[in-house]
Amino acid sequence: MDLRYSEEQSILRETVARFLKAYYPFEHRRKRAASSEPLDQVMWKRFADLGWLGLPFEESAGGFGGGEVEIAILCEEMGRVAVLEPFVQAAVLAGGLIERLGTSSQCELLLAPLIAGRSLPVLAHLEDGARGLLDHVQTRAWPHEAGYVLTGSKVLVQAAPAADVLLVTALLEDEGQIGLFAVPANDEGVILSPYRTVDGGHAADIRLHSANVSKEMRLGATADVLGTLEWAYDRATAALCADAVGAMHSALDVTIAYTKERVQFGKPLASFQALQHRMAEMAVKCEEARASALLATLSVDAPKLLRVRGVSGAKAKIGRVSRTVAQEAIQLHGAMGISEEMPIGTWFKRLYAFENTFGSTADHIHRYAAAAMTPEILESNLLRVSEIA
Amino acid sequence: MDLYLAAEDLAFRDEMRRFLTEALDPELRRAERLNTSFLADPGYGLKWQAKLTEKGWAAPSWPSEHGGPGWTLTQRYIFDQECERAGEPHFRGASIKMIAPVLMRYGSPQQQAYYLPRILSGEHLWAQGYSEPGAGSDLASLKTKAVRDGDQYVVSGSKIWSTLAHYATHMFALVRTSDAGKKQQGITFLLIDLKAAGIEIKPILSIDGTHEFNQTFFDNVRVPVCDRIGEEGDGWEIAKYLLEFERGGAFAGGVLRALHYRLYRLAAEPGPDGRRALDDPLFVARFAEIGADIDANDMLELTAMSKVEGGGNPGSVASSTMKIERSRIRQAIAELAASVLGPDALRWEDRRPLHLLPEEPELVEERKVASALYINSRSQSIFGGSNEIQLEIIARTLLK
Repeated sequence: MDLRYSEEQSILRETVARFLKAYYPFEHRRKRAASSEPLDQVMWKRFADLGWLGLPFEESAGGFGGGEVEIAILCEEMGRVAVLEPFVQAAVLAGGLIERLGTSSQCELLLAPLIAGRSLPVLAHLEDGARGLLDHVQTRAWPHEAGYVLTGSKVLVQAAPAADVLLVTALLEDEGQIGLFAVPANDEGVILSPYRTVDGGHAADIRLHSANVSKEMRLGATADVLGTLEWAYDRATAALCADAVGAMHSALDVTIAYTKERVQFGKPLASFQALQHRMAEMAVKCEEARASALLATLSVDAPKLLRVRGVSGAKAKIGRVSRTVAQEAIQLHGAMGISEEMPIGTWFKRLYAFENTFGSTADHIHRYAAAAMTPEILESNLLRVSEIA
Repeated sequence: MDLYLAAEDLAFRDEMRRFLTEALDPELRRAERLNTSFLADPGYGLKWQAKLTEKGWAAPSWPSEHGGPGWTLTQRYIFDQECERAGEPHFRGASIKMIAPVLMRYGSPQQQAYYLPRILSGEHLWAQGYSEPGAGSDLASLKTKAVRDGDQYVVSGSKIWSTLAHYATHMFALVRTSDAGKKQQGITFLLIDLKAAGIEIKPILSIDGTHEFNQTFFDNVRVPVCDRIGEEGDGWEIAKYLLEFERGGAFAGGVLRALHYRLYRLAAEPGPDGRRALDDPLFVARFAEIGADIDANDMLELTAMSKVEGGGNPGSVASSTMKIERSRIRQAIAELAASVLGPDALRWEDRRPLHLLPEEPELVEERKVASALYINSRSQSIFGGSNEIQLEIIARTLLK
């Protein structure tokens, strides 16, 4: 057991923080959010040049071999400045699926351009009526000539307007299982209805009308697609938890800064004990969230039961405490907290989006309860024995 | 970075499990289950301590030169977790966890040689003499006076709360030796033999029906100067050092998981009305939330432990967060357990200690103790520096 960051990991954090401080100040973020362009190509290319887009991938796949801890460091810093570019959606979630399920030629075709910043794949999985269940797929795929034809609807595909590749899940009726297909976003059978998300991001609902996919673009034909999908979502959820921790700390930081500056009754708000204690409570929740997020990070590659305990436990816990922190941050800003002029609304909305991305707080508490309410889990602390691994 | 147990730590864990299965007999386990207070009934506590002393494990945090096992932090964490999992009587309190570290840090070699072995053997049992009727959270305004008279101090005043003082042989106390300067400056740390003339100990009955706390009165009690720790006026610095240990320092998290699991077993059985709490989605949601809280707290503890092992310091925000959250989690578990009782929550058993009652099936007894545990749990967020004091500490760091 060792929970200290290595020298390299600390350097990574410093480097990322330094870059984002210089290139992603709040004014930049504000401008980006106001723009209708779904992707800042220049910034995305910078992320690629810095090696961030390749960080999650093995060196054998052309990546830089970062582990879950490195991904979490990157995400936490991105959450701090509320980066709008879809790193988790593209590089962690979609990229992770490609790396896990793709053949080496598929990886070469799909991952290399992602790592270089030339391609942006996203996962199109969620459908209406899913009720938090991962195996709810009504989009259908039929074998057709040298490939497949896909028909169905996907909703809330985050970053889809910026994507050139859609990883679409579809039920293969003849096989009776779910398949994963890399569909070019500009295929004539793909119709995007784009919109903005509450946190300033971009998303789309997608309709597939006999979209064509070549045989070579089916991923994991013989693999457990659903199981891998669940793992990939857990991994992306852990990354998002780290992002939320960064956002929570920023919400606290700007609140402290504001209450130190704002003078009422002849003294700064921060000098009132009633408000000091509320900020201290926010700090308590930030500390807890950080600990939860780290547990999620270190659970991604654990056996499934422990993975669910770590990831869903963290998603539910951080969902709950981040909501309080975000609400308190607004409250302590007073009426200014409601004004778009102040940065605090950005983190409030980012944390609201966090709570509702990759399953809600309630979804995850259900999932955690289903996994963790067994005597074996309830009786065991977090230290792991490798033989059950 | 990882959460894996090293092979030697796994072996250590298994050794502890084997020992606990054998040594912790059903009588001790039952006494602890039916204990409504923070610390065990001393009869059982000392019996358990004696079993641990035989193995050299009674004081897990002590270094080997003072008779401790000299364990690593990971071993101490595992020991805490395993003891709680097994349901040991809680008895490492003011003696082993508070005065001992003070003696090791500030005591003279003579004081260490005299007192430390007697703590281990159970011959001496210590009570804490910090708070006073007029000095609680504002501890430095304490008024109990110690006036130097030759090679003795003459102590007058009173100390309050003093857990288990009615069983204790000694009390460590903060006393005022000077009124000059800042109020923190005139405080001195004394070791007081509770057999000395002029001491009267009066019980304070808790709202859960137990006699756990006391008020101790000092009427011109003579304390030899050689029982002073450090110099005159060093008391405040020593007190702060000790409070770090009282705030739980590390290794107080195992009890949370143990209590949570106890609640699970209670909820898994149908109550008198035929319903199981585990079938109630509202119960399950709350129970699961607490589980995620415990995991977060466990992670905080392990992170702090890792930092200390690497020569660092967990920091005041993390330490106070753990203190606050531990108290809240214990209270949440106790509250949820009481909610399982339904109308039985109204039944009150006022005989103490409960373990002297005729034995009944475990779940019947669990239902009998749940209300008292809930009521007692309110003290969790008050002792050891109330949660409001912890928030002050955090705020001071945040807003500096």
